[in-house]
Amino acid sequence: MSAAETAARPRPVMVRRFTLMQRVEHFVLIVTFNVLAFTGLPQKYFQAGWAERVIQLLGGIERVRFLHRTFAVLLIIEAVWHIGAVIAARRAGREHGDMAVNFGDVRGVIQDVAYLLGLRREKPAFARYDYRQKLEYWAVVWGTAVMATSGLVMWFPETVTRYVPGVIVPASRVAHGGEALLAVLSVIIWHFYNAHFRPDVFPMDRAMWSGEIPLDRLRHDHRAEYERVVGAEEPPAS
Amino acid sequence: MTSVRWVPIVLGALLAGAALFVPAGPAAAQDNETCLACHTAPGMVLTLPSTEVVSVTIDPKRFTASAHGQALTCATCHPRNVEVPHPAVTAKTLKDYQRVAAGVCATCHNGAASAFGASVHGRARQMGFAEAPTCVTCHNPHDASRVRTAAFRNNLPQLCGTCHADEALMRKYGLRPVYQTYVSEFHGVTTTLYKLTKPQDPTPAAICTDCHGGHEIRAADDPGSRVHPSRVLATCTTCHAGAGRFFATAWTEHKAPGPDAAPLVWYVQLFYGVLIPATIAFVGLLTVLDLGRWATDQIRRGGRQ
Repeated sequence: MSAAETAARPRPVMVRRFTLMQRVEHFVLIVTFNVLAFTGLPQKYFQAGWAERVIQLLGGIERVRFLHRTFAVLLIIEAVWHIGAVIAARRAGREHGDMAVNFGDVRGVIQDVAYLLGLRREKPAFARYDYRQKLEYWAVVWGTAVMATSGLVMWFPETVTRYVPGVIVPASRVAHGGEALLAVLSVIIWHFYNAHFRPDVFPMDRAMWSGEIPLDRLRHDHRAEYERVVGAEEPPAS
Repeated sequence: MTSVRWVPIVLGALLAGAALFVPAGPAAAQDNETCLACHTAPGMVLTLPSTEVVSVTIDPKRFTASAHGQALTCATCHPRNVEVPHPAVTAKTLKDYQRVAAGVCATCHNGAASAFGASVHGRARQMGFAEAPTCVTCHNPHDASRVRTAAFRNNLPQLCGTCHADEALMRKYGLRPVYQTYVSEFHGVTTTLYKLTKPQDPTPAAICTDCHGGHEIRAADDPGSRVHPSRVLATCTTCHAGAGRFFATAWTEHKAPGPDAAPLVWYVQLFYGVLIPATIAFVGLLTVLDLGRWATDQIRRGGRQ
């Protein structure tokens, strides 16, 4: 099960991992996230020289806000679509709560840290999605909820303050900026490492592009899922 | 014979009269160029008995482009100075000098002057606070900075900030510096960005005078103030049509969020102040560990193969 052996194999056996719609959704997320970050961060750091240049480049703050709000609406539509798609997949029996967070994930973190520290021989047997991927998924869910809510509050403060105390408006502004920074830093460190810079997937994990994962990688990274797919117990690698 | 003896007397008298008349002659018919012959020299100052100085150098280009430069001559506002040498200035201090200057402004700008006189600034001035502003504190009568231009509007917060960003000065009057919180607040962000990236366009966001009023400005706790709690929502709706009944509380009153001022904003700040470093530390550590394990495996494998 060495790397040389894997590389020598001419055509690795692939396992389907993502549907076309999931990949399209991910692509929409890439586009909206980048445009929102590119048009949002200059608004947060408006006093910095680079922010001024970006805003100038885009033709002024009004246009930056217009772009930001347009792509925000796209992202909200995508989020609503996603909720609908998950519900539909559940009803059709195609979805079994693979993203649900449970105690196994806490155990997964502890075992993985032990493995990474060299205190454990084998990588933990992760399910279809490991704790890293679940953390990222739920961070996107939480982040989109926070950003959409706080963004809409700032967009329509006159209407919102008919029902809610006004302090929600400046609080939303702080939350929007804080969550934005958290999201951008998390993506740069966590997502870029796990999906791009990790030595065994560099330059990118193609699963989200092709929708398939090599069987070998599934066995290594998601052994519990591998065993479920193959339906047979593998002899432990040593 | 008699008439001949009078000639030198008449001639002498005429010459003497001419000698007196010559310096006064052109001065009486003085135009701006005559004044600017001297007053363009850089660094010309008038030193008052109090040792305070007033700059009397004029930039002719800026003056000509100003509202005053197109309609008035120097003598309109400085009638006494048509005489050369100029008569001595009676003001003993800068404060006196500015009071006299404000009187000159009031000659034409009587509406603004009377509004200002009743304002918190004007009243502080009358009470004798030397730091209280007067006309020329904010308006340079010799400058091209016209109040109806984008430049004047976009720079106005900074102009008010000359005093209202100065913590020590504000404390003397029982006030807080407000400029800093304005700039970091929604309106201030837009205004700052207009100033930086679109100086030719006036900011659509509220500037100081849009809420507080200009010449007629009142203290915020004065019931006549447009930002007094009883009137502030009406002031907001000037721009924010259809603002909800809680809208005015969205404004944090130039206070930096804290446990006492806008606590929700403060708690959200705290939340992200903890969440961001904690998350980054967690994922950063796992990334380093992951790379470490990979590197260790490489070294081990390299040794074996």
